[in-house]
Amino acid sequence: MSGPRDEFLSEEDLDLRNLSDDELVAYWNLWLEQAQATNELDAQLYSHGVFEREPEDPASPGVHVAARIRR
Amino acid sequence: MANVNNPYLELTKELNRGRLRALLSSGQAVVVHRLAIMSKDGDWLLREDAEAVTHALEVLSRRGAWYRFGAPLDLRWLANGWSAHLEFRRGPLRLRIDFVTRPPRIGAEWLQGIWETAQASGTEVVGLEPLAALKLTNREKDYAVVGELARLMTDPRAQFLYSRSSRDLIELASKHPAELAEGLRQRPLLAHIGEGREALEEALDRERRALMRANEERLSRYQVAAESWAAKWPAVRRQIEGLPLLEAHRVMTSAAAGTLPFAPGPGGDS
Repeated sequence: MSGPRDEFLSEEDLDLRNLSDDELVAYWNLWLEQAQATNELDAQLYSHGVFEREPEDPASPGVHVAARIRR
Repeated sequence: MANVNNPYLELTKELNRGRLRALLSSGQAVVVHRLAIMSKDGDWLLREDAEAVTHALEVLSRRGAWYRFGAPLDLRWLANGWSAHLEFRRGPLRLRIDFVTRPPRIGAEWLQGIWETAQASGTEVVGLEPLAALKLTNREKDYAVVGELARLMTDPRAQFLYSRSSRDLIELASKHPAELAEGLRQRPLLAHIGEGREALEEALDRERRALMRANEERLSRYQVAAESWAAKWPAVRRQIEGLPLLEAHRVMTSAAAGTLPFAPGPGGDS
């Protein structure tokens, strides 16, 4: 397609296409390691499926089950 | 992909040892298709049979996985669109393992075709078209992914169904009028292509909002159906804490039976 095009993802995102398999896996693994920094923030949340949030534990108001157990 | 030195690719290989049982899906599948890396959690489309479920539980048991809140990994719930959620640690990584056997927005015939295609091609990753359908969620960011997935599709009929770009659609229409006529039957938005970019972009926005609301309503049906199970979960979680996964699975399945309905209610699996 010539001329401007609608942009959905950044050039950096799309640059994965130019990586070799080994480079992609190395970048992917590094990304996953760095993403662990937010584990506390999303401990109760779901990315997939039909559940959206871990239920709160009534025995510890304000504390979700997952957070209590893994503390 | 030749290099499988990645936790999600390795687990996919293990899930499929001896037989194709699981297709890597959602965010990690997007990475394999070489678009953005946007999710740290793993999601698999699991074959809906007892052997596949048993094998998955055994694989995850060896990894020391535990259940998160969700449905048990049991066909009675999975066959009605519920999802099962597990987690384990590998070094510094928290790996989340999510399973469905009945993915949203994919009908029974298409689902059967997905497995047949995967079996024939040897792929262990959800393909572009079903992945785009799965990504029609209630999250804005997923529509950017759908837009790029559509650009990877080689069949103009598929591009017509999933493109999120007014420019792309207008150009496609000029090149493939027969496929456009075919696509109109499945995607009413395509009728706006002849009205120009402005009208088409408004229609794309309306379509996205309608899709997001439809998914919210779908999730809401499951949330309502899971209310009693959610109330029971803190006690169940304490009961299974520290148990080997296969034993925890038995306790969880027994606890969920009679509390978490197998079917969430009308329209829940679409």
